[in-house]
Amino acid sequence: MIRSSELDRGFMREVMAIPGGENLIKCWSCGTCAATCLVRRYDPTFNPRLILRKAGMGMRQEVLSSREIWLCSACDACYPRCPQEIHISEVMKAIRTIAIAEGYEAPGPFAEVDTALCSGCAVCTRACPYGAIERQPVLVNGEERMVAQVDHTLCMHCGVCVAACPSGSITLEDYANDELIARMGAGGWLEEGSYQQGEATEPRILAFVCQWSMRSDAEWATLDAMQSDSLRIVNLPCSGRVDPGMILLALSQGADGVLVAGCSEGECHYKRGTYLGRSKVALLDTVLAQMGIQPGRVRFVELGAFDRGALPGLIAEMSAALKQPAVTVA
Amino acid sequence: MDKLKLAVYWASSCGGCDIAIVELGEHLLELAKLADIVFWPCAMDFKYSDVEAMDDRHIDVCLFNGAIRTDEDEHIAHLLRRKSKVLVAFGSCASEGCIPGLGNIKGPDHALARAAFETPTTDNPERVMFAPRYAMPEGDLTLPALTVQLRTLEQVVPIDFTIPGCPPNHEQIWNAITAVVENRLPEAGSLLGVDPRTVCDQCPRTRLGKIQVERFFRPHEILPDPERCLLEQGLVCAGPATHAGCGALCVKAMMPCRGCYGAPDGVLDQGSELLDAIVAGMAGESDAEIRRVVSTIVDPVGTFYRFSLGASLLHALKKSPLESGQRCETQRDGARGEGEHA
Repeated sequence: MIRSSELDRGFMREVMAIPGGENLIKCWSCGTCAATCLVRRYDPTFNPRLILRKAGMGMRQEVLSSREIWLCSACDACYPRCPQEIHISEVMKAIRTIAIAEGYEAPGPFAEVDTALCSGCAVCTRACPYGAIERQPVLVNGEERMVAQVDHTLCMHCGVCVAACPSGSITLEDYANDELIARMGAGGWLEEGSYQQGEATEPRILAFVCQWSMRSDAEWATLDAMQSDSLRIVNLPCSGRVDPGMILLALSQGADGVLVAGCSEGECHYKRGTYLGRSKVALLDTVLAQMGIQPGRVRFVELGAFDRGALPGLIAEMSAALKQPAVTVA
Repeated sequence: MDKLKLAVYWASSCGGCDIAIVELGEHLLELAKLADIVFWPCAMDFKYSDVEAMDDRHIDVCLFNGAIRTDEDEHIAHLLRRKSKVLVAFGSCASEGCIPGLGNIKGPDHALARAAFETPTTDNPERVMFAPRYAMPEGDLTLPALTVQLRTLEQVVPIDFTIPGCPPNHEQIWNAITAVVENRLPEAGSLLGVDPRTVCDQCPRTRLGKIQVERFFRPHEILPDPERCLLEQGLVCAGPATHAGCGALCVKAMMPCRGCYGAPDGVLDQGSELLDAIVAGMAGESDAEIRRVVSTIVDPVGTFYRFSLGASLLHALKKSPLESGQRCETQRDGARGEGEHA
């Protein structure tokens, strides 16, 4: 039961006073946001309508202490659909700002910068879909330098910056470069000979799979059960985390093909993540073609909400294509 | 202590590395006091027989510039490895293939045919091909033959250190030489004559960090703002993915960094890191937009791997190391084009 005596009537104004939070008052709780929410598809406990409703009613402590306020990945799928034109992720950001000021901590993990290695090149600040990275003057080993700094209120741990950083100065728990390379090659998978070299009976495929493109645990389980000598799955927080260097590493060792699975256009949880993933694979493809390397060794597949269970078929398709005799490119 | 015995060699290179050593200027006089130059074919009169006559490990330090492009280069690489205590891959060709390494995209047979028959300035009605052996009345003339792929020094013999750059900056060369003389060498396999981090660390240009590039330009197509980051203006600048050491020379002269100091520490493949960094700043959301923006990058391999192709994962993907050292098709014994005096 909600007791009106326990409500903090000032909370709505508090949220509205923070830039981005001013539209909270416009919410009439229709639930269109919840119906379109991409996070809610995986985690039904998350409901943006409820958070806005509770904040509007003044349930201050309950909102600030809830884990849900940190789940919104600010993909903004709800924003264009909201009949009241509320930029909901901005309201969520305002609520988080208050929570941080109150001493609550975002659960993370966050991208972390090795300031001794960082050159302040600003590649990551351009890459971040959330503007969560800024270059700031920091004292590093007694010398003030402009280096990348991550804002924990804004970082959604998509890993896009980790891939983009050209000097390997950014890491993200579980998805650092060395961790991914270790997973790619675990059990000596990369050292085994490929189908092209005539040392395997089936084309060997490495698949980088965005965690959001799999719609259920059952789907993950199916994929996991398919792992074998000819298929290695490495999951990524987002297809934008894929590193072209790792694709080349796999292809130059025992992999015949590398498949990158991400979300469809407009369904990315990290705004531009899937765009960056697709762009990297597209550009790498032109590089491989220019080198005269057999086409089709790298592929990006998009998995939308209606593509449940499609990935095993797409992997089989790629495998069949890699069995075709190589076409010589002039 | 005896004077240091120093050797300098050029394999397949443009000569720029030797010029960079001459650029030491007055340090050359100090160098003459510190070291005996026992072999430097570009600058002083030596013969291969002089090197062959040396005891093994006679040379203290050999600065080897140039890539391994011919069977002669390969022969001398093995010889100098045997005669040297410390073998240094000097400059971009020896360490990562450099511009000549781009020849690996289409291979030497393509390059020979292009040079012998196709360039606008070629006048070769009899279609004579460059041949490694040519019979003259006085006897056979021989030339070294090209190998199937250009290789870096390390792909042929073990090396001790690398001094990157095209060419290495003369101040960095002097730093490296004094490190040798004062016995301050880092652990084997390290880079010598570099600064920490990447070129961006030394670049004075301002970065907004938010610009998204609508299309890419080649340097001659725009007049960039002299103060602002070149990458943010749509020029493919390799600075973010290039080891510091040059002092950001090119960017200070309005040219985007071309990447000659190679990959930053711990980075596997310079070209793919640059590719990733470039994509991060690209505008757009849709596939059509990707195709449009990507299509404005002319010659992606030459742009991303301008210097590092020979040592890259991309190169490893193309050719097996076993095949790379064979003579190219055009110049194999008995192959077409073997010249004879009419």
